[in-house]
Amino acid sequence: MLATLVAIALVVQDQAPLRAAPQDSAPRQATLWQGEWLEVRGEKQGFIQVYDHGRERPGYVREHQVRIYRLDEASVPKLQAVVEFLKDTPGAEALGIGYAAALLRAAPASQVGPELFDALGTLADRLARRATSNRTNDVALAAHLDVAASYGVKLVSFEREGRTRVCYDGEAFRRVLALGGSPEARLRAALSLTRPECIDPALNPVARQALDEWRGSVLEQVDGGRLPAYLANRLHLRRAEVYAALSFQLSRRGEAQRGAKASARAVEELARVLKAELTEEDKPAYSMAAVRVGASRHASEPMPEKPGSGPVLELAQGQPGETCLRLVDAKDPKAPLSERCTYGLVWPGSVRRSAQGSAVAVAVQMLEGWTELWVFHQEGGAWVLDALAPAATEPVLGYVELAGFSPDGSRVLVAREALVDGKVKSSFQVLKRETLLPEKSAGSPDALGSFQRWSSSDWRGRTVAVR
Amino acid sequence: MNEQKQNEEKQGEEKQSEPRQDEPRRGEVLARMLSLAGEAARGMVSRVRWLIYAERGRRVMTGLAVTGVVAGVVVAQPVCMIEPGEVGIRVNRLTGNVSELHEGWSLLVPQVHRLSRYSLKDQTYSPTRSARATDPAPFQSVEGLSIGVEVNIRYVLDPARIQTLAARLPENVGRDIIEPAIDGVLRRHFAQHTVREIFSTQRVQIQKDISAELAPLLAADGVLVRSVTLGNVDLPQQYRTGMEALLAEELNAEKMRYTLELKDKQVKQSALEAEADKVRREKAAEAAGNEEVIAAKARAEAMRHVLPFKEKEIEQRRLEAEAAKVSRLTLATAEAEAHRIEAAGEADARRKLAESDAYRVEVTGKAASEQLARDAELITRNPLLIQKTLADKLSDKIQVIIAPPQAGGFIAGNLLGQPQGASSSQAVASSATSTQEE
Repeated sequence: MLATLVAIALVVQDQAPLRAAPQDSAPRQATLWQGEWLEVRGEKQGFIQVYDHGRERPGYVREHQVRIYRLDEASVPKLQAVVEFLKDTPGAEALGIGYAAALLRAAPASQVGPELFDALGTLADRLARRATSNRTNDVALAAHLDVAASYGVKLVSFEREGRTRVCYDGEAFRRVLALGGSPEARLRAALSLTRPECIDPALNPVARQALDEWRGSVLEQVDGGRLPAYLANRLHLRRAEVYAALSFQLSRRGEAQRGAKASARAVEELARVLKAELTEEDKPAYSMAAVRVGASRHASEPMPEKPGSGPVLELAQGQPGETCLRLVDAKDPKAPLSERCTYGLVWPGSVRRSAQGSAVAVAVQMLEGWTELWVFHQEGGAWVLDALAPAATEPVLGYVELAGFSPDGSRVLVAREALVDGKVKSSFQVLKRETLLPEKSAGSPDALGSFQRWSSSDWRGRTVAVR
Repeated sequence: MNEQKQNEEKQGEEKQSEPRQDEPRRGEVLARMLSLAGEAARGMVSRVRWLIYAERGRRVMTGLAVTGVVAGVVVAQPVCMIEPGEVGIRVNRLTGNVSELHEGWSLLVPQVHRLSRYSLKDQTYSPTRSARATDPAPFQSVEGLSIGVEVNIRYVLDPARIQTLAARLPENVGRDIIEPAIDGVLRRHFAQHTVREIFSTQRVQIQKDISAELAPLLAADGVLVRSVTLGNVDLPQQYRTGMEALLAEELNAEKMRYTLELKDKQVKQSALEAEADKVRREKAAEAAGNEEVIAAKARAEAMRHVLPFKEKEIEQRRLEAEAAKVSRLTLATAEAEAHRIEAAGEADARRKLAESDAYRVEVTGKAASEQLARDAELITRNPLLIQKTLADKLSDKIQVIIAPPQAGGFIAGNLLGQPQGASSSQAVASSATSTQEE
């Protein structure tokens, strides 16, 4: 249908009326929204006679409410200029998409480059963001979404954290990556395609892993070296996030080596972020990425040497997907001191023992971004196991890690980081070994003298909590 | 064939009838020849006489005799050579003895011995006259079609039986015995089969049959058949074209059969692959399901761990609140006590202050009243002292004009309890009071 159109009228105003006759008093046939296309059939008394193929009805619109273009090569520069202008104009997403569609139709194939798809993707992405933000006064939003959908721009919606999130499916961005484009455009495309909040929460773990592997490959297509530092930071943060997730998924499926590699890569990507160049809006993302990396960084930790005597932690396979921890005395390995099975991922490289042998701690990753610290400790001669959770919230994102033991073994130092009420909260605590209740707590390790004195160099060398 | 034979017979008869016509001529020639022979005999006798009685004649005869002996030896060749791969059969014509000669030199007395040579090497026979359909003696098929077949038969003479067979076999065994026998067998066999069988389907069988028949047949004559090979079959051109078309059709049919078989196998393969895929997907789905279950269990476990932590946190907060309450209570009590002590102290201090004030007031009052009494006495004694004091007290900043009172009063009348008139006199009075307080 569109190919047969010679000239089109692009509606540029919201709520423009389509009249039955070329008079302002004529009945309104339909309400047009910006970005819609109409076929031009003539002109009468200051009105443009048009046919609306979407609604299948003819009518008249005021001349100033539309712009008329011929769909041939002569219109390409004009359309290009408008698309370029609308690309960064908030609120004009539907209009921009309409112009981009007209440009795609008018331009010969040789002139359609990644820039046009970048503009289209940016517009669609912004429209999705606009639909997600819960502004109640945006009356044109629904109509603009319809206009975008009529051009084949697909927006999908998910329910996340009690609200609906609208996301662009990224078709145009895929084309940008396929066609080339500037490093900035490629970065925009990759970041939009790999947005974590646009992942369907109902995905099963296998599909999720496949998706994360694809996200990793998409991010690898962007050359970070040619980007300005603040944009490169975004790339590194997203990569760190994706590799941290992959590390857990791969380790969970038994591919320990690949998991370790992914974990090391995640830590490396986080380390590449230049803190001085972080923009204000990237700081929360930086904290979140750090928590994710912190939660899965144990995957790349080397196995510690086995101690000669004292309690030793042994790992064994339980039910499918279950790991059983068995604390035994090195001298008498047959009688376990304590035993417990878990569906979490136990990181053998994270096992640490206090100098006196009175406490053994190990990191257990329950979820992709949730790592607990399990502490076996002596209480009245018997060994008990206490699981330290990152925070007293729903397990979503957080980790708690062992920072060391006090020289007499009576205190345990832990670093906790978790997402609480949408913000990353860090705390460095000194716990009593018997009860594992916090004795002292501070927002930074410098604020606690004892923490500074007793924290192990091993922890200081590897942690991402101090950044 | 029959025509040829008849022609040959006629020619034979003609040859026999020729001498009967030439008989009278032959008698004349004979008579002439007899006379010539008589002359020759007479000449010969004279020559022989010359040879015997003359010296020179004897020498010539000796030379001739020697030359004749040498020539006889050269011509008769009394020694023969048997080549490797050959066997010679020597028959003594006088005694009838037969001896077998192997490779090397052997003595052969002329006119006494007769030698036959037999080759022990493998020999081959290929009927050249029937290799092509257009050759003079092609084979015939059961349909009566002329076909040419390249046949190659390899045979060898049985060395053990050569001696016994040499007596009855002809000199050229191959040509006289073997070739006709082979030809007969071949023709009979080809005549039992159709062209198609010879050409394609029964070729191996025919070859085997020929071999099976030839071997015992020739074995009786001391010939061992080594192999029978059938080569190219040459058909009449027209038949060949049709045959090839037919074979091509058959080939197509065969091809179709294989294609169908292949398709059938492909279908089976697809079914198996689909089945495998189904199983794989089922397994994958099961694995995915398992992973989901494991993830859910891990989440539930994490949730379980959070709860005690939450409880601990709440308990800790409660304890902290209690401790805060106790500390605040203690603090408040202490503060109240301190306030009480402070208040008591202050009251005490105020009482003391009041007392001291009262005492001071009393003492000062007493002193003042005494002073007043003294002043009153002084004023009583010197009434003008008041004016003087007033004037002294008023500083030089204020210009005081002592004017006669309008109402006939004194300037400081209000001080003295006179009825007041002007505000200025009030001011003076107030300043006088303040002076008194000081």
